[in-house]
Amino acid sequence: MEKICAEGLTFFGKTNRLISHELKNIFAIISETLGLLDELMELSGRGTALTPERLRSMSDSIIEEVERANTVIRCMNTFAHSVDEFISEVDLGEITFLMIQLLKLNPISKTVMIEYLKGEPCKIYTSPFFLGNLLYHTFHFALSAVAPEKYIKISIHVDSPRVEVDIFGIAPDSPKSFPTPPEELLVKTLGAEIWFDRSAGRVQVVLPQKMAGGPAAALLVK
Amino acid sequence: MKLLLVDDEEKFVSRLAERLELRGFEADWATTYEEALAKVRAEKYDIAVLDVKMPSMSGIDLKNRIEKMTTGIKFIFVTGHGSEQDYDAVCREAVCCIIKPFKIETLIEKIEQALQI
Repeated sequence: MEKICAEGLTFFGKTNRLISHELKNIFAIISETLGLLDELMELSGRGTALTPERLRSMSDSIIEEVERANTVIRCMNTFAHSVDEFISEVDLGEITFLMIQLLKLNPISKTVMIEYLKGEPCKIYTSPFFLGNLLYHTFHFALSAVAPEKYIKISIHVDSPRVEVDIFGIAPDSPKSFPTPPEELLVKTLGAEIWFDRSAGRVQVVLPQKMAGGPAAALLVK
Repeated sequence: MKLLLVDDEEKFVSRLAERLELRGFEADWATTYEEALAKVRAEKYDIAVLDVKMPSMSGIDLKNRIEKMTTGIKFIFVTGHGSEQDYDAVCREAVCCIIKPFKIETLIEKIEQALQI
């Protein structure tokens, strides 16, 4: 029980670090853009032309960064709400999308194309926080072991009473082992399964549509 | 004095380079480690300002690669990490490091300090 709580806190901390790092990058871009704008305006006061196109490009860039920050903060807020109800009905597609968004803050994802094929809405009854944690770990593994094409495809399938999250694009010759103890712990907590077909470059996370009992349920304080 | 700025955030690094040029520095920039290594192969730099966290290769690994290719270059790290622990770990690897976002005067001060060592 302590192990899964520790894993949860580690994940929370890691996510916070990623978000704060991204926000600092955004602030740095805004700060440099405003600094440059200030200097160009000063130069224009001394006769060096500052064209409307240059001004427009810099103001557009500030708007883009504010939008980027807003997206990050929306993700942070959604993620923070994943612990509101420890076990609840969740949209698997939404949690998958959120974890992909969080993963995109990690430098590891910057050189990989991630395609997410969102299927029909798929509600499951589980622990949203630990589900997110397991998906994040799995997607992170896929990115760290990606095939030379640098393309990861993620999709969801319903096979009642189970649902599957499929991840394709892993290098068959990757030396990385998976699942490792943290994923095994999360799998056990959620009553899930993980299948890694190394030769096909595919990982499948299989989840029950309705998690019954299990370690995550025992964490609920009544 | 010739500077090489490396950061995967293109808008950040290109604008920082332009601001440094306005102050009389010669500043090249790169957004990937491959580009950075190619520039180091082609030019002689006095100082490299490296982002710590980049895709494919960390700033610390990039510093080690650059050191094998050239001599006399000083390093300054730029990081978005805010914790003291992270900051200390990075500082052990460079003359100094600064946390994003920063004032350009702070970077210039660090450049001057680095050149005196």
